[in-house]
Amino acid sequence: MPEVELVNIAKRFGKVTASADINLKVADGEYVTILGPSGCGKTTLIRMIAGLIEPSEGKVFIAGKDMTGVPIEERDIGYVFQNIALFPHLTALGNVSFGPIVKDMPEEEVKAVPQRYLEMVKLLDRMGMFPDELSGGEQQKVSLARALASGAKLLLLDEPLSALDARVRMDLRYELRRITKDLGLTVIHVTHDQEEAMTVSDRIVLMRNGRIVESNTPEALYLSPQNLFTANFIGETNLLEGVVKEVLPDRSLVELRDGTVVEAKPSKFRRGDAVVLSIRPERVHPANEGLGSVIIKITYMGTYIRITVESDSEDTMLFDVSTSEDRVYSVGDRVNLIWSKRSGILYPRPPEGVEEAIKLE
Amino acid sequence: MKRMDWVVDFISRKGFRKGWTVFIVAFFLFFVVLPTLYVVTYAFTDWSAIETAVLSNPETLSTIVDSVVISFEIAAIVTVIDFLAGLPIAWILVRKEFRGKEFLDTLIDMPLAVPTAALGFSAAVFWVMNPDPVPFSLSVISSPFLLIILLHIVFSYPYMVRSLAAILEEIDDTYEVAGRTLGASRLTAARTITLPLFRAGLATGVILCFSRSMSETGGTMIALSTMANLGIGEAANFFTGSTLIGEWRSLVETDPTYAPSLAFVSILLIALALILLIILKLVIMKFHLPLRKVWPMQEKMLSRGIFPKMKDGGALLFLALIVLIPSFFIFTYVLFSDPASLDMGALSYALGYSFLVAGVVTVIDIALGIPFALHITKHRDRASSNVLDVLVNVPLIVPTAALGYSLFLFWGSIGTGGASFVVLILAHVAFTYPLVVRNVAGAVEEIDPSFEETARTLGARPIQSFHRVLYPLIKSSILAGAIMAFTRSLGETGATQAVLGRNALTAPVYIVSLVKADELYQAGLACIILIIVSYIFMLLLRYLTKKRKEAI
Amino acid sequence: MPSITLRGIKKSYGKVVAADGLELEVENGEYLCLLGPTGAGKTTALRIIAGLTKPDSGQVLLDVRDVTHLEPEERNAVLLSQRYSLFPTMTVAENILFGPSIRKVPELDSRKTLVELLDLVRLTKRADSYPRELSGGMQQRNALARALATNPDVLLLDEPLRALDARLRIDLRHELRSLAKALGLTVIHVTHDQEEAMVMADRIAVIRNGRIVQIGTPREVFDDPVSPFVANFVGQSNFFVGNILCSRDGRMTTVEDDKGHVVFARSSEIPVDSKVVVAIKVGNTRVVKKSDAFLTGAVERALFEGRVVHLDVNAGDLGRYSVKLPASRRDQVAVGDEVGLNWEIPKASVFPYPEGGLEEELRVD
Repeated sequence: MPEVELVNIAKRFGKVTASADINLKVADGEYVTILGPSGCGKTTLIRMIAGLIEPSEGKVFIAGKDMTGVPIEERDIGYVFQNIALFPHLTALGNVSFGPIVKDMPEEEVKAVPQRYLEMVKLLDRMGMFPDELSGGEQQKVSLARALASGAKLLLLDEPLSALDARVRMDLRYELRRITKDLGLTVIHVTHDQEEAMTVSDRIVLMRNGRIVESNTPEALYLSPQNLFTANFIGETNLLEGVVKEVLPDRSLVELRDGTVVEAKPSKFRRGDAVVLSIRPERVHPANEGLGSVIIKITYMGTYIRITVESDSEDTMLFDVSTSEDRVYSVGDRVNLIWSKRSGILYPRPPEGVEEAIKLE
Repeated sequence: MKRMDWVVDFISRKGFRKGWTVFIVAFFLFFVVLPTLYVVTYAFTDWSAIETAVLSNPETLSTIVDSVVISFEIAAIVTVIDFLAGLPIAWILVRKEFRGKEFLDTLIDMPLAVPTAALGFSAAVFWVMNPDPVPFSLSVISSPFLLIILLHIVFSYPYMVRSLAAILEEIDDTYEVAGRTLGASRLTAARTITLPLFRAGLATGVILCFSRSMSETGGTMIALSTMANLGIGEAANFFTGSTLIGEWRSLVETDPTYAPSLAFVSILLIALALILLIILKLVIMKFHLPLRKVWPMQEKMLSRGIFPKMKDGGALLFLALIVLIPSFFIFTYVLFSDPASLDMGALSYALGYSFLVAGVVTVIDIALGIPFALHITKHRDRASSNVLDVLVNVPLIVPTAALGYSLFLFWGSIGTGGASFVVLILAHVAFTYPLVVRNVAGAVEEIDPSFEETARTLGARPIQSFHRVLYPLIKSSILAGAIMAFTRSLGETGATQAVLGRNALTAPVYIVSLVKADELYQAGLACIILIIVSYIFMLLLRYLTKKRKEAI
Repeated sequence: MPSITLRGIKKSYGKVVAADGLELEVENGEYLCLLGPTGAGKTTALRIIAGLTKPDSGQVLLDVRDVTHLEPEERNAVLLSQRYSLFPTMTVAENILFGPSIRKVPELDSRKTLVELLDLVRLTKRADSYPRELSGGMQQRNALARALATNPDVLLLDEPLRALDARLRIDLRHELRSLAKALGLTVIHVTHDQEEAMVMADRIAVIRNGRIVQIGTPREVFDDPVSPFVANFVGQSNFFVGNILCSRDGRMTTVEDDKGHVVFARSSEIPVDSKVVVAIKVGNTRVVKKSDAFLTGAVERALFEGRVVHLDVNAGDLGRYSVKLPASRRDQVAVGDEVGLNWEIPKASVFPYPEGGLEEELRVD
């Protein structure tokens, strides 16, 4: 039931436009992440859905109902805050019971519901503790239980993991996805962490400068991004500038700065167009021939080795090799790099320059 | 250049820093705390005198007890009213955005700019039943008790609103928003989440209001004299603890037999103020609001429609009618009275004297208060700092008239009786020093210690890191503290009288004498001059604090 | 010659022990990451080196100089705090010039340093801006330039990337390390992010409960962890609990649990029959044909993570195993499939079963 729809949303603070032209539909039971760098307007967006701020233009619909003028407490949402915001004067149980009490649930439910959700986040044994006696990860779990116990079917998560340690964050991501899917909730999750977004979402909405850049499944965004910014933001990528030499039915040929010709997916470009070729590091392989380059750095990543090279076309490139590979690489070695024509994607070279087009802040 | 380096090195030496700290703390203990409480020793050294003059004299005893009881009753009633009327205003100031908020913010502080002596006169003219009322005055009050309550509300109300607003500002509003996303109405969320987190602010507000009301002397005396002059004779024999000290202090000069009674009432006020405030602090921190009970439907209804508007409207009406109009009614009075000539010579002498005292006092406060504030904030982990922190508040909560008498006895006993100006300065330092310390310590505590720490690792000596990094950040708070101390010293009556008796020549004391002589027009005019001068300082304060907010 | 030496440093706050006999040597020009969970004592260690916190006992040496009792300003070790602590009343340039002006560096020299540093951190155009007008990344660079302007022997970084966006963080890792290397600085970098430590450090010191539990190159710490905690904290691990069945030829160890499941791990000195934990990195766990498998289970969940697909495999009474399947193989496995799991035997470590239980050993917060 609680599908969410945003129609032509715009928000301005004085002269600053925080978001514009936002149209978005979130289906019932869908887990959608709004992803983007600091200041892209993602927090403003989720706050408008919750009713913490009113949009300057456009409408928010929750379960088909126009939310204009509906106060926060009547939107029936669960909201998890970046700074956690557990009530410091109440115990874990007291916090989780708050929703059922103020919603005037029957006595027996006020007793049972909070315990059920504390159990779900595996913190039943800590229900008597005050927030400052719990670790960061535990606090955020209590806050999730608190949001769920109020009976909301729509969960809004405002950077729920960014205050936590990297390792705790990793474990909690999977927890978050498991619990919300088990309960069949509709979730809108805001984050700047692309790895987090990839792991938890059914769909990612990528934002930049107050606008939606692209919206699709994690897989589609990673494998065939429609946009140069997306290609760089979602996972790392190598970007090579060149000129289209030829477009064939099964591939495109691109001439790099040094005259080397490399392959990419077929495209609609024409001979002579200035393009940027994007190729993921894990898709680049050393070979006997291909783009010549010199190794400038080798980083041990644990389960793989990442090698940074300076190519003859004067591009800095990354590629990965397995830790169990026999060949030993050293800084200064020459390697030739190839990739499958299916994994290289072409984009028009942006007029403002590649660096500006992928800028993160 | 070279010499400066030598100075920096010298004052950075461990030995020097230790010595300096000892000096600062010793100054505080010997010149501020000890004199304030010195009068208590009277009970040990001259108990027999108290016994004969007070305890075996039912008439004196009942006068003392009555006045002290009246003081407490008034302070309690005033505090409760301030809280009830102040909370909605504090809420509006912190949580709401609207046009004219700046203006409202300024209005709240306006009574603080008016010296209490002027306030007392202004409020009395506005409220007191008068056979020949001043145009636009209400002229309805005939009970001195009610009049003093109304007067005390005027100058204590801003303190309550400020304390509540300060703590409200610190309570992250995501708590309340979190409550509302869980389905609580505005009222439920405010009552069950924000209010319980509020206790510390409430304690501060209550203590400030209570002690302000207990302390106030000049305004109260003027209001009562005005009332008596307007034909309500009962006012002439109406005393609060503080005005009783003022009255007897002027009598003791000709009749030394008042000394034991005077000491006794001072001790009583100091002791009761301290005890009561300790209890209050404990009670408020233990007090639990009924959290478990929730009435969702009723509270939802009260969060809607006309009710919030009625609450806000009521609070604003209170602010206007009870606080602001009485504060500035004196202008109307002077406008509609028959002019009489004012002895400008005497007034300007009094004003000059007041300014001199206030200026010297402020310089001492700044020079010795800042290092002290730094000392207590830098060593929060030490028990001794916390003790000092609590002691700083003592001169703030002790009624200034009692404090003044205590200082008079203390410095008199050491044989400085002749140097009245010096004693007056020391008395004013005692009750203004905490204002500077509080302001500076509060500002320092808000500043991330990592600024100074980073400066140190970059090679700065402690004195350099204070001068280059911390000082620019707290400069405006230092100035705010200084201006508060200055205006407070300028408006003080009780302590001045208690120290100097009839010889006091400060502006507020001069105004009191004008009122007592029934020269009301002159008193009004003198008040206005004092208000204007103080107000200029107040504007300066607002300008400076605003600049600080922009800088951060 | 070590540039920083800690000897038996102890520090406690009431009952909380923040440093419990810290021993550490950092070589001249080395980039060392101090890695550990919140509350492990990382920041305390850093503050003790900087002189901002006095240890209860122990010694701090910078080069061969005992600085234990020196003030922070006498140490020439600059600390960069988490929030950067740029002085808000000063411009970018004034912040950078703070150190030189305290040290009374001649005007001409400090001007030169300023120009060089502004250029180095790419803030020349923003020299007259105030910190609050800068983006997070710029603030970080400004703070770095300010630290470098004092020409420090030692740079202490307290989670220097924490306040930044995740994606930006990845780009800045390389930038920060290259800068430190180019200037030949000795760096201690505190972090809770194991990936950051892996990518940036010459050596990683893993700290827990105020003690350094392991120190070594990223490769040593990742491949040869000294405890289940390190195995799980530096790159996630899967665990198998059982008893040693036999240790063959010093080449591998066979471990069997009480249900009769058998797995293989690298050789160990632990006697036969002891209760042990086998740890295998999630990234080194492979999906294989059932005939080659050590264990089997049903795929419960598959999450696309870019270069890999994260699989949760329910191995029945053995619990849940996580696997990172290369994204290129994602079509070979679907949710609900029964799959086999194994690993290269030398990549699985064996540890005696921890005294407080496995869960307690692995706690990260």
